[in-house]
Amino acid sequence: MIHERRVAVVAGGLIALVPGIAHAHAVTTRYGDVVSGMLHPLTALEHAVPLLALGLLAGLQPPAGARLVITLVPLGLLSGMVLALLFPAIDVMVAVNRWSFIALGLLVALGRCLPDELLAAFGIVFSLSHGYENGLAMTPDMSGLRFGLGVALAGSAGVVLVAAATLPVVRRAGGLRIAVRASGSWIAAVGLMIIVV
Amino acid sequence: MVCRVARAARSVTLVSLFVVLAPGLALAHQQTGVSGGLISGFLHPVLGPDHVIAMVAVGLWGAQLGRPAIWILPITFPFIMASGGMMGVAGIPLPSIEVGIALSAVVLGIMVAGSVRPPLWVAMAIVGAFAIFHGHAHGTELPNAADPLAYGIGFVIATGLLHMSGIVVGLAIARPLGIRAVQACGVLIVVLGGHFLVDAVGTAA
Repeated sequence: MIHERRVAVVAGGLIALVPGIAHAHAVTTRYGDVVSGMLHPLTALEHAVPLLALGLLAGLQPPAGARLVITLVPLGLLSGMVLALLFPAIDVMVAVNRWSFIALGLLVALGRCLPDELLAAFGIVFSLSHGYENGLAMTPDMSGLRFGLGVALAGSAGVVLVAAATLPVVRRAGGLRIAVRASGSWIAAVGLMIIVV
Repeated sequence: MVCRVARAARSVTLVSLFVVLAPGLALAHQQTGVSGGLISGFLHPVLGPDHVIAMVAVGLWGAQLGRPAIWILPITFPFIMASGGMMGVAGIPLPSIEVGIALSAVVLGIMVAGSVRPPLWVAMAIVGAFAIFHGHAHGTELPNAADPLAYGIGFVIATGLLHMSGIVVGLAIARPLGIRAVQACGVLIVVLGGHFLVDAVGTAA
């Protein structure tokens, strides 16, 4: 088991250093709109980082709170996509996405357990706003349903995986919990600067 | 023997799986400058020796101060630094930035060399005041980066890692010889910071 873990770590490290090209659009990938949708939130830092923060925040909560966030994220992402198709000119969504860096980062840095109502509000608002901006990235030749499904699948999977990885870490006091909170501070710091750009 | 073969087969399967899942450079339309922005942001603090010694000093001092400073400093520093970065991005001028950065190395080096233990709020005020200078220097470059978001992520990560390096070295204080070694690092930081300070004052004059 230990041997396999070592192999996995070494292989993962080596592969991460391999350069290559991944195209995030249906025209170039030829894998279809679902895959394009899946790649979009994960390959755009402005979506990937807040979704990471949302996962960390869910992981810092008791299991019931984490489950609540995890349930709301796909709903929010899909609702945001639908909203983008119906009303493609809600400029405030871009601002909400930028503020999501600061809000989610600070909440992670504080490392407190939040009431369910507040958790639900953050989960739905920020997943909706990011779903909306992902929806705007669709081109007329794409299938909205497939692209939206891809975005919701990848975004939710990312949040679930991060939350699942964070949950056991934060149960132990010490360095790892501090590392999770410090990463929240880093995300908020980045958000503070891009808000001015 | 059979066990070894089975283990090797599992390893090969695992590596193959990793290869199949190998990520590549993402070229979504608005993300073309990510790698450039990330690298330039990461290298900005790392290639500035005055930044490096000051950030490592923060980590060393945090380790000397122990709890709660050891975790409060790395959590709060990036946010305060980002406030300085925001001023830099917005074009709000800050006088004598290079002098402030060099001075931060000297002052923090003195704290480490002398194992100074002020109240937590004083330590926070000292580190926070200098963080603004460091953040401003990084932030000024941000709008010109290939990808400002990636640049910001790069320099925040680099700064955090420099703190962590300082904390890891600073944990040597658990041993008697380690206490002296960490203080010696403080003296070295004061000397280097002094050199940068003289240089910065000379340039400013």
